[in-house]
Amino acid sequence: MTTVSVAPAPTRAALEPAAISIDALGKRYGTGPLVLDDINLSVPAGQFVCLLGASGCGKSTLLNIIAGLEKPTVGAVTVASGKAAVMFQDAALFPWLTAGRNVELALKLRGVPRKERRAEALELLDLVNLADAADKRPHELSGGMRQRVALARSLAQDRKVLLMDEPFAALDAITRDLLHEELERVWRQTGRTIVFVTHNVREAARLGERILLMSSRPGRIVNEWTITDTGSRRIESPEVARLGDEITDQLREEIRRNAA
Amino acid sequence: MPLEPATIKAHDPGHDELRRLEAGLDSLQAVPETPRGAFRRTLDGVVPPILLLIALVAAWQVYILVAKPRPDLIPGPLDVFAALASAWNSDRLQLAVTTSLERGGLGFLLAVAIGTPIGLLLAECRPVRRAVGPLLSGLQVLPSVAWVPAAIIWFGLTDATVYFVILMGAVPSIANGLVSGVDQIPPQLRRVGTVLGASRFEMATLVVLPAALPGYFSGLKQGWAFAWRSLMAAEIITQGGTIGFGLGSMLDQSRVLADLSGVLATILVILFVGILVELVVFAPIERRLLRRRGLMAAGLR
Repeated sequence: MTTVSVAPAPTRAALEPAAISIDALGKRYGTGPLVLDDINLSVPAGQFVCLLGASGCGKSTLLNIIAGLEKPTVGAVTVASGKAAVMFQDAALFPWLTAGRNVELALKLRGVPRKERRAEALELLDLVNLADAADKRPHELSGGMRQRVALARSLAQDRKVLLMDEPFAALDAITRDLLHEELERVWRQTGRTIVFVTHNVREAARLGERILLMSSRPGRIVNEWTITDTGSRRIESPEVARLGDEITDQLREEIRRNAA
Repeated sequence: MPLEPATIKAHDPGHDELRRLEAGLDSLQAVPETPRGAFRRTLDGVVPPILLLIALVAAWQVYILVAKPRPDLIPGPLDVFAALASAWNSDRLQLAVTTSLERGGLGFLLAVAIGTPIGLLLAECRPVRRAVGPLLSGLQVLPSVAWVPAAIIWFGLTDATVYFVILMGAVPSIANGLVSGVDQIPPQLRRVGTVLGASRFEMATLVVLPAALPGYFSGLKQGWAFAWRSLMAAEIITQGGTIGFGLGSMLDQSRVLADLSGVLATILVILFVGILVELVVFAPIERRLLRRRGLMAAGLR
């Protein structure tokens, strides 16, 4: 099996240096089987990349390695801007702090002076339309609101790269749909490079500028799609459906391979 | 890329639409709070135990009136109340309560000061935990009253004996409470700390300690219970010397005089002091702690 590489959008790649570059990366835990095998990837700054694959394909492991939470067994990962911000499936807000204080804590750890934290936190919460909920505690918020606070918190880190590990997987479809729109807007407004891990084909087709499909056991990047139309699209639109069908076909093929 | 305030404020109709949608969904998903007034809450908390108390005392009095037992073996509520009043009038009761509370409180604070660093060390340092953990669990099971004879030989009949027994009772509970509090921290919270760039010190003070607070607090509660019990045991057994007059001493004095009413009266006082400390000191802090984190069971709100 070889890595199929469709040429990435040429203009951007040529003009800007890669925000993330991964070179011949491999990962295994102890003496166990190979989890990730020969991953080569270059993400230009400002790109929205979706990492798609079935369970156990190592997509979360790859994300954790980019985040610096785990170390690769072989190969190298470079994040040009230094460290990356990360958002998990679970909002993982600190339950003893209000929404505002949660964002402020990220600012504090970034070294923002005390006086400026409050105002900046409110601004970030306003960006995800939650300025009114700044004094609420996490348990008083709905799942979607918690994820938006987590998004504001990861934006507070002010890092050029944002890594997201199935952040909307636990939400209901209506909330998820709105959050897709919210995330897309934030992405366009802040120009961040986003790597978005998901097992939801439609979600990847809805959000990504570039979609990477991973095989399972070991995890390899087997195909990728680049979406040239950069305008906003809806999850129920025909082009998302068409792309989704195409990706699903190949994803199923990858899954079938594991049946034997 | 740093956020430019100007871009944030930029308006476009699509964004306004999204905002309205989100605000609508947020209010649909908000859990409506049905707060009960403080008066109602206090009423709900105070009335049932008082009713039970009245019922118990009434049953006791009825038994005395109907069965007419020997008063020196089974005194009635009135006898016990009289014993209480006489202890009050001779100032023995006030002296005993203040002495015991002072010792219990001071001993407990000492135990917190010693048990907290031990707990932190155990929670964060694996080799220490493997070595000391079983010993600490063993000490928690060992009745601290077993230390009284050794303490008398070491420290004689002084307050040091009493404090030593209190510490042996309370320190293991407090340390173990902190350890289990730290163990129960969801690993995700530590990962967030790492991702946000917390140093070791920031991780400990801003993430681990606040996250461990509920477990630590229940350790403190248990520590107080053990301190109070140990104190009573120590006071009953050790008397004379420079040891002052506490509730345990009062209990033993009544036993020596074969004054069962006095014994029962003292037991009730010890019980009520324990309940009072729980209600006045621990319960409000715990309720606040749990409510802020959304950990309060609905029935206790």
